Amino acid sequence: MQPQAISLLMSNVETIPGKIILNSYGLVSGSTVRAKHIGKDLFAGLKNLVGGELRAYTELLNESRNEALQRMMLEAHNRGANAIVNVRFATSSVAAGASELFVYGTAVVVE
Amino acid sequence: MSQSLTLLAYLLIPIASVLFIPVTSWALGRWYQNGLLNQLEVLESQHGKGYGEELLVSYQKKNDTMAAEYSTLLMANVVVGPSWGQMFIMWWKSLMGGSLPSYAAVLEYGRREALQRLKAQARERGCTSVVNMRIETSVISTAKGNNSKSSSVEFLAYGTGVR
Repeated sequence: MQPQAISLLMSNVETIPGKIILNSYGLVSGSTVRAKHIGKDLFAGLKNLVGGELRAYTELLNESRNEALQRMMLEAHNRGANAIVNVRFATSSVAAGASELFVYGTAVVVE
Repeated sequence: MSQSLTLLAYLLIPIASVLFIPVTSWALGRWYQNGLLNQLEVLESQHGKGYGEELLVSYQKKNDTMAAEYSTLLMANVVVGPSWGQMFIMWWKSLMGGSLPSYAAVLEYGRREALQRLKAQARERGCTSVVNMRIETSVISTAKGNNSKSSSVEFLAYGTGVR
């Protein structure tokens, strides 16, 4: 089931600029593990003939990261928060050809 | 005389065929990446280089940040990979050690491109500055076994855009 897209205020500084934090709901996180599409991988491998940007991967990772963000926002939303501060991204290669995109932050209520 | 020429041909043909792909790839890659770099430099001349510019800072600008009326999380990523020719040079250099200027150039390009994309996003949303900007680097592709044919590195630039 695709959750409805939610949009919370987010920032990677300690506050939401211009707002006052009223309450904190603790750490929220979202993650997704993506494997590469074999066709895309083959294409990217061919793209290595000239090097430079591998656009297929750029888009893939961007999509996956947005999905992780969505999961984090859903968790924060379910706790009753309306903003997330101090958002950090972490990316790691967990297995051959797969990477985990992890995003975490602190769920808060701002005025 | 003709015998020694034949011997020479027998020696040269395998070497040439082994080197053909890396050399072609190196030449094509150099041409292509120079093109990308030129595009990037046009962007940079229009919008500033990134490091040390007014728009993009890596600290939390306290006063301005507090007075902001709008803020949003911005992120921009780019995945770059070396060409086969560069990989061949890397393999060769890994026997001797030493610096890898051609590979460093690829990474440098990726980082600058990510910064330019972040700035483009900031402009799109009307932000006057990006505070607490961070750049993250990760290796995303390690093919099965160790014969990685598509080695690539991701650069993610993110920060809080304020206005």
